[in-house]
Amino acid sequence: MTTLIVIDQAPYGSWAGREALDMVFSLAAFDQPAALLFTGVGVNWLRTAQSAKGVGQKTVEKNLSAAPLFGVEKIFAEQEACERFMPDTSSRLAGIDLVASVKNLMTQYDHVVFAG
Amino acid sequence: MSTTLSYTLVITGAPWASQAPQTALAFARAAIAGGHRLDRVFLYGEGVHLASSLCAPPSDEPHWPQQWSDFLSDNQIPAVACVASALRRGLVDEREQNRYQLPAHNLRNPFEIAGLGEWVDGTLKSDRVMYFHGSA
Repeated sequence: MTTLIVIDQAPYGSWAGREALDMVFSLAAFDQPAALLFTGVGVNWLRTAQSAKGVGQKTVEKNLSAAPLFGVEKIFAEQEACERFMPDTSSRLAGIDLVASVKNLMTQYDHVVFAG
Repeated sequence: MSTTLSYTLVITGAPWASQAPQTALAFARAAIAGGHRLDRVFLYGEGVHLASSLCAPPSDEPHWPQQWSDFLSDNQIPAVACVASALRRGLVDEREQNRYQLPAHNLRNPFEIAGLGEWVDGTLKSDRVMYFHGSA
């Protein structure tokens, strides 16, 4: 069974995204195929050189960089949202697969879960 | 051919802050009435507030935690609050109270506290996993 976890909320505003990340790590820990998709304002998770000290948090960039080590198979991002929020490609994390059609990607997974 | 399905319900919206617990309860009652099975209810994120024993709404308002407790007990359905979500939000059972040396515990019966592995198990064993979120 394959699972796609979708994060459609910007980082730092609530804990929903971090808790969605815990879900994908948990699947990977149980050897279940899992991937992440960032859509809409959620693509702001993928910015490089984030500094979260101003809001008293740890940067989510480190959490994300651990995803491949934990066995998360792929990290996808909605291409249109990336071009809107991060037109400078050098400000995006490496190793992200851009997708033109979120709908088509979702149909490839048995189970699609949105961050709460 | 049988059309009976098994479900895991995941509630991530808190009572009173969202309609998620209410909508999930309506679904759960309809599922049982329709002859389907609920394998487990899993509370995650803000949804863990549903398992608090300290909610005391005015008597003329719906008491969602009480209604859920009664439904779960009557139908013998396991219900789990995610431990990480629960600890962040001040929901603890006696074991976690002792572990973190907290002044009280407040987990409502028959809810239990466990890890995300319970959710993973649900995704593997149930025919359907339904999510009830609190925000758009």
